[in-house]
Amino acid sequence: MTLRPRQILFFLAAVAPVGKLVLLPAQLAGIAGNDLWMPALAHLLFQAALIFCVLLLARRERTVLSLIRACAGGGCAASFAVLYALFLLFCAFLPIVEQKVMVRSIFYDTIPAHLVFAPFFLFSAYLACRPLPALGRIWDILTPVSVVCLIGLFLLSAGSCDFGALAPAGAAGKAGFFAGTAAAFSRFSDAAFLLPLVGRFRYERGFAAKGVLCYLAGGGVLLLFLAVFYGVFGEIAPLQSLAFARVGAFFPARGVVGRIDYLFAFGLAFVMAFYAVLPVHGAVGLVCEAFGERKLLAPLLSAGVNAALFAAVYLLNFYTVTVVSLFSGTLFWVFPVFGALVPLLLALLLGRRRDRGGRRAE
Amino acid sequence: MKKEEMREISGNAQKDGAALKALLPAQDILCFHFADGAGRNAVCVFADALTDKDLLAEQVLRPFRAYAGGAQAEEVAAHLLSPEVRVQTSFQKLAEEVLAGNPVLLWDGGDAGIAAGTKKVPLRAVAEPPTDVAIKGPREGFVEDVKTNTALVRRRLKTGELRIEMLTVGRRTATAVALCWLEGTCRADIVERVKKKLAAVDIDGVPDSSYLVRFLADRPRSLIKQVGTTEKPDIFCAKLCEGRAGILTDGSPIALTLPYLLVEDFQSGEDYFVPAYRATFTRLLRLFALLVAIYLPAFYVAAQIFKLQLLPIRLLLTIAGSVRDIPLSPSLEMLLVLLVLEVLNEASIRMPKYVGMALSVVGALVLGETAVSAGFVSTPAIIIIAFSGIGLYAVPNLIEETSVLRLLMLLVAGSLGTYGIVLLSALVTVALTTTENYGVPLTAPFAPWIARDLKDSLIKSHLLSLEMRPAVLKSPNKRRLK
Amino acid sequence: MSKFLKRLPAKLWMIVCAAITLAFFANDFGLVDLQETALVLAAGIDRDGEEFSLTAQIAVPKGTDRTTGGTSSVEIEGRGATIPECLSDIYARTGWVPKLVFCDLLVLGETATRGDVFDCLDYFLRNEYIPDACLLAACAGSAKELISSASAIDDTSALALLNLFSEAAQKSGQVVPCTLREFAIGYFGESRSGYMPYVRAQAQEGSEQGAGGQGAAQNAEQGQQAQKVYSARETALFSGGALTGVLTSEETFAFSLLLEKVYAGAVTADDKTYVILKNKGGAELVKGGVPGLALRVECKVQIAGEHKAAPPDELAAGELSEEEEVRLSQTLEEHIRSLWQACSEADCDLFFFRRSLRRASRELFAKWKELPLSELDVRVHARAKSLR
Repeated sequence: MTLRPRQILFFLAAVAPVGKLVLLPAQLAGIAGNDLWMPALAHLLFQAALIFCVLLLARRERTVLSLIRACAGGGCAASFAVLYALFLLFCAFLPIVEQKVMVRSIFYDTIPAHLVFAPFFLFSAYLACRPLPALGRIWDILTPVSVVCLIGLFLLSAGSCDFGALAPAGAAGKAGFFAGTAAAFSRFSDAAFLLPLVGRFRYERGFAAKGVLCYLAGGGVLLLFLAVFYGVFGEIAPLQSLAFARVGAFFPARGVVGRIDYLFAFGLAFVMAFYAVLPVHGAVGLVCEAFGERKLLAPLLSAGVNAALFAAVYLLNFYTVTVVSLFSGTLFWVFPVFGALVPLLLALLLGRRRDRGGRRAE
Repeated sequence: MKKEEMREISGNAQKDGAALKALLPAQDILCFHFADGAGRNAVCVFADALTDKDLLAEQVLRPFRAYAGGAQAEEVAAHLLSPEVRVQTSFQKLAEEVLAGNPVLLWDGGDAGIAAGTKKVPLRAVAEPPTDVAIKGPREGFVEDVKTNTALVRRRLKTGELRIEMLTVGRRTATAVALCWLEGTCRADIVERVKKKLAAVDIDGVPDSSYLVRFLADRPRSLIKQVGTTEKPDIFCAKLCEGRAGILTDGSPIALTLPYLLVEDFQSGEDYFVPAYRATFTRLLRLFALLVAIYLPAFYVAAQIFKLQLLPIRLLLTIAGSVRDIPLSPSLEMLLVLLVLEVLNEASIRMPKYVGMALSVVGALVLGETAVSAGFVSTPAIIIIAFSGIGLYAVPNLIEETSVLRLLMLLVAGSLGTYGIVLLSALVTVALTTTENYGVPLTAPFAPWIARDLKDSLIKSHLLSLEMRPAVLKSPNKRRLK
Repeated sequence: MSKFLKRLPAKLWMIVCAAITLAFFANDFGLVDLQETALVLAAGIDRDGEEFSLTAQIAVPKGTDRTTGGTSSVEIEGRGATIPECLSDIYARTGWVPKLVFCDLLVLGETATRGDVFDCLDYFLRNEYIPDACLLAACAGSAKELISSASAIDDTSALALLNLFSEAAQKSGQVVPCTLREFAIGYFGESRSGYMPYVRAQAQEGSEQGAGGQGAAQNAEQGQQAQKVYSARETALFSGGALTGVLTSEETFAFSLLLEKVYAGAVTADDKTYVILKNKGGAELVKGGVPGLALRVECKVQIAGEHKAAPPDELAAGELSEEEEVRLSQTLEEHIRSLWQACSEADCDLFFFRRSLRRASRELFAKWKELPLSELDVRVHARAKSLR
């Protein structure tokens, strides 16, 4: 059972951008002010290039581990799987913390007990051990949800948005741009998330270009969202930590129909829940593939990993700001080192087809 | 195996009749002793209530009494007037024939027994099924007799490609099951898998087709519906034409179809007899009603406890006024009203009709008036549950699943609030999208997204646009409109 | 082992279901349901030295047996060094948890607007459960008195006040509402300025008691209280968070015109009242030399009423003569000049000149950001044309 190429495109266009709407917009607004879209654009272009490489690697129609195994042996493949799985779990941590912040804020009127977020890990444990086609089909479902919810939020926020707030471009200067770019590394690991999916879908002619176009289209929506967000909140944007749940709150019929913008926000939260589990799924999948056992290992590993994440999240319950600044500041280099260098190297080293004599690659 | 079952036919009518009777000692199995035209002793063994005695006398006994030819079974069979005659040599087979309502004839010098098809089964007339009423379109419904049902199917599909294979399921009930498919339209592997699964059924009895559902599903313990059901031959035939296999079970008016898609239950036979825009609207309305039925009570509870902002302030104040003196928490209040509704629903279905009226009055009075004025429950709670209850019946084939889901949603809404609803919805989405039956994903054509099949999903395109059979079924014969 | 694993999902499923059911019946995540909640519709803030006083108008739901319309309310006061402390005080005194999610109006009393209003407003900005869409208003006298006064038009003063800021009221040009978000953007921006409607309560002649409800009953206990009608035709100007001036009703109307918010609003000049049916306006930055602002208003108008009777053909047409157009344009220009005068005196960058400067050019902004508003080159242009 494998993914369909279309599902990868759906993920890149409609699911990946939604995962960046929680804390990132306010964080970027705090660092780069009205230039918040610039670091995001830089990351989108960089990720698009990486995604192109990863999708080219998919031409071999073999998984990354099998390519490494063929090239450097089983031990090396297993080591890579474990290391890369750890990196994916590292990537998963911040989105999960963001989820927790989001849940406590937008789903309740008063601060709830910390325990309300615990069921997320049950969901994560369940989803992470599901076979890959499950993810693909879910992306099929999530795409219309994501599109409808984003359009809804854009429509609701249109009346209160002042795009003039984005001027003048470059006001944050180089310092703002680089600081914003460094902080945003922790949120842009889409190419890294795609790596475990390589070889799980059939490569079609021109698919890498299609993937890049879809990612950039989704990225365009992200940039538009950032612009709308800053247009609505201007100077107080850094205070609006849950951007997607805030932008639509100012529509005129609010008093009559209630906060219908929350329905769209809940829809996006639904999409985000799946996005947050994606790296965990990738980590479990990689380790299972490395050790050649899925049926038994996947549920156990998924349960173990999620238990560990649960423990970590709850141990750091009162250190959310520290965690965010640790991932976006002190440890930001981990993301480009693993999330960019590894896919790039793999694409360069393993991406070439060896059989040019007309025979299809294995 | 019993000794009698092992015995061979001796050619002595007295002895053979006694042996057969020993296998079937029940008092309603009768033996009629007589002599044929050559003076040979003969015995006719039959099930009293299941055999048409007039037909037996006319087609079997009268010609056999006049018969004076050879004693070979083939010769005897040729002189009988019944069009359905089977020669059986084993007592076990003869016993099965008797139990199926076919009388068995044994005579002196005979090398085998003869079973004649003069069965008489008390039958309900073909009528419109109460669960699937159509204003426009055919009104016939399946009945409990598999032969009548196959006839209803055959009448609609006058093609040699229609294959009906009779199978027997159930150790004790020996229920006849007709597997129907259109050769060249339904995938051969689906037919083979259904046959295998039916052959593997080893159960005492199959009183209804719902028993078979569990054996046919790929995940038999799942809460998710995996086999399509219908009571109408026109829908059954339409599904066969799309490339599905169908199963008719003796004793059950519910036909099964495979593979099943979730979207099927949002469609009704009538959708194909009304304009496409109307059908699309109705299907979307059904989906909306179902979502309301599942989510409305949950969101109402979550809004009251966890997220007041989901409601506009004026509505919230009205609700706050209504719930002010209610002793129960919002979640318990809703659970109570839901349980009362389920009890009333259950009772009103099972009650005799003349008591049903009284029950409705009691239910309406107790729920609608007394409970509210006594301050046990609030008016909005009753309105919400009533709306939800009505919504549930917009998609009657999914009532079992959706009522459980509604209860689960209510539980998570009362315990975790809106986040619980979102998470449970996510879990249900995963469960639905990962469910496959016979290699066909349940949530197609939405997940996986199959653009071509969307034409007849929640949207209904014009008949002339439905040129191809659903791609998800991978029918060998792809085109249906030329 | 495999048998155990095979049954594990079912067991886990049962455990989860049991836990959820338990949570359902226990239902305690430290959350507060509707029955224990005080739904705050509006809050009034006053300052008493270093202490704040917050008067929350809390909706009291009427039972289903009541057939009268409207919403009853009670006003509860809490005091403390900060706004959260005031809310805690209310909680401690009533047992109700004050929820501000539906608080659509914050009224700032005179004492609160003397200093930086963000001393108290920052709580509402920080708290993620309070929508930034709530409206702000300043008032003459005490906010507590205004919130607690008996309205002549509604049982609940907050709802009567919110009526003043409705969409229809905005179109009339009589009031220019401002949300917390808009005010905060102005305050935290380069202009550090803002505005909000300035509310006055006037006693309704011949009335001595509130319209009803619990609030009114409470008032009755305290003695007969005159019913009030409210007016928000003036606009308070803020600079650096403190109230520095108040626009008159004419200036407020001119401000509405400049914001392009007027539709079917009426303006009177020379004993004639004109209705504005199309309104274009804005404040544009003028670069070159000392930067300035161009305040432009263009509108299509029709005569709505006159001081004296007119013949039927004039009544039917409602057109303005050229002379009337010029006169009305001059009147509007006067209002706009007066508006600008009030702003510059109050040092309130109402038209966000500095913000426009920054958006236009970093160099210009660096050069002119300290330019006093009074030294700005302001060009006013108003043109009223008759609807023909």
